[in-house]
Amino acid sequence: MARTLRLVALVLCFLAVRVSADVSLPDFERVELDNGVVLLISEKHDVPLVGLEATIRGGAIQDPEGMNGLANLLAGMLEKGAGERDAAAFAEAVDAVGGVLSASAGLESLRVSADFMARDAELLIELLTDMLRRPTLDADEFEKLRDRSINLIKAAKGSDPGNLLPRYGNAFLFVDHPYGNPVGGSEDSLARITHDDLLAFYEDRVGADRLIISVVGDFNAEAMKSRLTAAFGDWRSAAAEATVVPVAQKVAGRRVLLVDKPGATQTYIWLGNLGVAVDYPKRAELNLANTVFGGRFTSMLNNELRVKAGLTYSARSVLTRSAKPGSVVIRTFTETSTTTETIDMALELLEKLRKSGIDEEMVESARNYVMGQFPPRLETAVQLASQLAVLELYGLDAGYVDSYVEALMAADAEGIATTIDDVYPSPDDLVFVLIGDAGTIRDDISQYGPLTEMSIQETRFRP
Amino acid sequence: MSLFSELRRRNVLKVALLYAVTSLLIVWIVDHAVSGEVAPIWAKEFVLLLLAIGFPVALIFAWVYEITPEGLRKGVDVDQTQSIVYKTGQKLNAAVAVLAVLGLAAIVGERLLPEFELVRLEPVEEIPLRPIYDSSESVGVPREITAYTMANGLRIVVWPDHDIPNVVMYNFVRAGGRNEYPGITGLSHFFEHMMFNGTSKHAPGEFDRIMEAAGGANNAYTSNDLTVYQDWFPRSALKTIIELEADRLQNLAIDPDVVESERNVVYSERRLRIDNDNDGRLYEQMLANAFVAHPYQFPVIGWPSDIENWTQEDLESYFTTYYAPNNCTMIFTGAVSPEEIFLLAEQYFAPIPRQKPPPPVRTVEPEQSGERRILIETDAETPLLHVAFHAGSASDPETRHMQLLLNILVGGDSSRLHSLLVEQEQLALSVGGMQMEGFDPGLVYFYLTLPPGADVAAVEARLFEELERVAVEGVTGAELEKARNIILADYWRNLSTINGKAAALGNYEVFTGSYENLFSLPEDVNNVTVVDLQAVARGAFRRNNMTVGVLHAADEET
Repeated sequence: MARTLRLVALVLCFLAVRVSADVSLPDFERVELDNGVVLLISEKHDVPLVGLEATIRGGAIQDPEGMNGLANLLAGMLEKGAGERDAAAFAEAVDAVGGVLSASAGLESLRVSADFMARDAELLIELLTDMLRRPTLDADEFEKLRDRSINLIKAAKGSDPGNLLPRYGNAFLFVDHPYGNPVGGSEDSLARITHDDLLAFYEDRVGADRLIISVVGDFNAEAMKSRLTAAFGDWRSAAAEATVVPVAQKVAGRRVLLVDKPGATQTYIWLGNLGVAVDYPKRAELNLANTVFGGRFTSMLNNELRVKAGLTYSARSVLTRSAKPGSVVIRTFTETSTTTETIDMALELLEKLRKSGIDEEMVESARNYVMGQFPPRLETAVQLASQLAVLELYGLDAGYVDSYVEALMAADAEGIATTIDDVYPSPDDLVFVLIGDAGTIRDDISQYGPLTEMSIQETRFRP
Repeated sequence: MSLFSELRRRNVLKVALLYAVTSLLIVWIVDHAVSGEVAPIWAKEFVLLLLAIGFPVALIFAWVYEITPEGLRKGVDVDQTQSIVYKTGQKLNAAVAVLAVLGLAAIVGERLLPEFELVRLEPVEEIPLRPIYDSSESVGVPREITAYTMANGLRIVVWPDHDIPNVVMYNFVRAGGRNEYPGITGLSHFFEHMMFNGTSKHAPGEFDRIMEAAGGANNAYTSNDLTVYQDWFPRSALKTIIELEADRLQNLAIDPDVVESERNVVYSERRLRIDNDNDGRLYEQMLANAFVAHPYQFPVIGWPSDIENWTQEDLESYFTTYYAPNNCTMIFTGAVSPEEIFLLAEQYFAPIPRQKPPPPVRTVEPEQSGERRILIETDAETPLLHVAFHAGSASDPETRHMQLLLNILVGGDSSRLHSLLVEQEQLALSVGGMQMEGFDPGLVYFYLTLPPGADVAAVEARLFEELERVAVEGVTGAELEKARNIILADYWRNLSTINGKAAALGNYEVFTGSYENLFSLPEDVNNVTVVDLQAVARGAFRRNNMTVGVLHAADEET
């Protein structure tokens, strides 16, 4: 009897064999104020927290010529005193209630991200309003932050240099296009930025017409709306026109950048070309393809390079999607002596992906994986606030999330093959960026294409 | 005359019914008043108490007294032929009926008008911006959590949460750096890798392939105390995951060829995390010097010569001893029920035999009796300074005090050390701190990145001065309150995801003996005083208890 019951229970439990990702955005209210501020508001009461994301359209792509890092410095300065509070008092106000409040720049936006206990929601709005509308932008604090940013880049060169790889990579791939700007700047460019540049950037680039505030959490939506409307409804617009960037060029042929780190025991590898924009129509197909190629542990790249060959601890492919096409990149690292072996294997896999595509069984596996890993990405108030803000920033509708599962279900091997052909570059058209011990690997890697060399000690990321 | 018919005659039963119906109505109204914040939170308990006291009084009253045309009389004094108890009874019936209809109408009305609120005193512009979540309801251990120890010693804790259709599983294996000795250092971490490399049923790589094809993802980490396996998966993959987890605990294949290939992967990881990372190199030396006896001195990833040389026999005996069900604790959170987990566990984990418990770690680190210093010279534009002091174990009450103190010292930009060293005096680019919270007494640890050309000795002196200041002068009440808030907010952030729940439950279950201790955290931090914090600082921040590590370029002078 007990055995029968157990069987029945098990059968009932596992009728659903197929992954069913029941994911959709929560109900939210979108309000556009007269001055252009967009509010996105949604209640969520599972824990007493509030997640908020304020996004100012336009980020590091607006950095003036030679001043990479300006947008990011401004973001940092928003935390260094606002309203009646100086930098220390502002930090104290946040920490005293156990809040998290940080500002940072991306290529296409400045972001203020906050996670507060719900009982402190009034304080959160006060701090947010002050930092956006009444930042102190103190000259001494600016000097301090700028000098510290320069020194932190020097420190990063001694810790995990892989963290710096995308900065070299983007600069070498996009060359003079704004997507090549190192968001955090370089030692060189940061040193050139003055306090006046900072003030001008704030006036020109920050204002109501660029602001999106997305807030999710444990509060009454009407109350939140009225507070935010009162706080931002009478704010000015940014003085300058918004920057529009052109579409960058795909790279034809190959070029190689070698960043010399003498004595490095391993080589950090970045192979890329131009990819797609955030509104790429075959998103489901592309994400399935990238999952199979280099987006999970059993992906082609990781399975061959790590699991089978033991050449690395990790190998993956990464798509960066912005308003205009970003990059598609293979990333890995290996012991200095196996540098070319690793690169050759990655190139072979790229060729194999383009030639053979993905079979139906693998499509099904990738689909299950993508759907199974999707719900935890929209679990917390902060995650939801961030997702709503991204949709608004790029002019995408809720269908971007709500119809995603449907699009995944509809994707097939044939559509995926077309997408692969469309997005992944031929191994003959690639930008190679390597950080490693040049003395040891220089001769071997010159076979891949015309070689440019620089030292990691140099104070910029563009060769 | 029976007691029952006399109760009926004297309308005692009807009075009881009327009392009950009236009470229900009163409770309903009070309930709404409390939730509408018209009445205080204790009003319901108070009213319930009054009603409970009143009930026997009303019944006795009804038994003893009787309503007559002349007024209230004692029942025994009333001429039974003149008694109008029957009429009174009818009136009572009518009252019950009216109240019942009123109550029903209220309840139906409430259902039909879900927006209806008893009070809304504020005008629309001034709706209070305050939490709706009722924290008072979440005090204590959530009742839906169920724990279970199987006959073979495997401990399982389940916390159902159906917010998203996903499940998280953590397996905490009590095997870490502290269970190793020279010759096998790094073996715990190596097993973390081998556990993904094939069983007698599944070839190497199949574990991940099957899991990912079912929609699951996994990872694992090894510390000085534990090896922890994590699976994140959709509910539909539950059975597959449990099957896979049971298989690798029961049938792990330790194939010599795979061992050789995996040695290379671990070497690559060592190069990444230690050899090419200045902080990683210094940290390894710090532990090796701060501990002279206790196995916390061994790097979790292992000394290079041990990674090269451990033997097949080392691997097999380590697996049998440490991967026994009685040495594991499993946590499930998310879209599951305890019943289905326990059924599956009985089916898949029960056949795995219990083993003799692992040998205890006997070595106790002797008290340090003098400052220790180490220096690494290497390419580095920015010097590093690490400072460590011996402190308590995870279950030591002082560890909570140190946690609060660390938040005062390095938690956020307003913390003492950040604002002093980074902002005001600009002696450091960054300063961080942490505490080893393990089975045995560990370290409290500070790590600083200094600007190029920094006077490292001067920074060290300034840092120590500030730590000593806490020992001598203590901290302020406002600082303690801040630290409490930081910990409390983090507590809620952990509980906002099924992954955070699994991690928190598991760590409390393994290190403090019960997951239930997690839920007393808000109360625990409230009971800590500034005196406690000063005492823990005085105990730890002493020169004789200190290890200092410096990393800088070879030509630099300190």
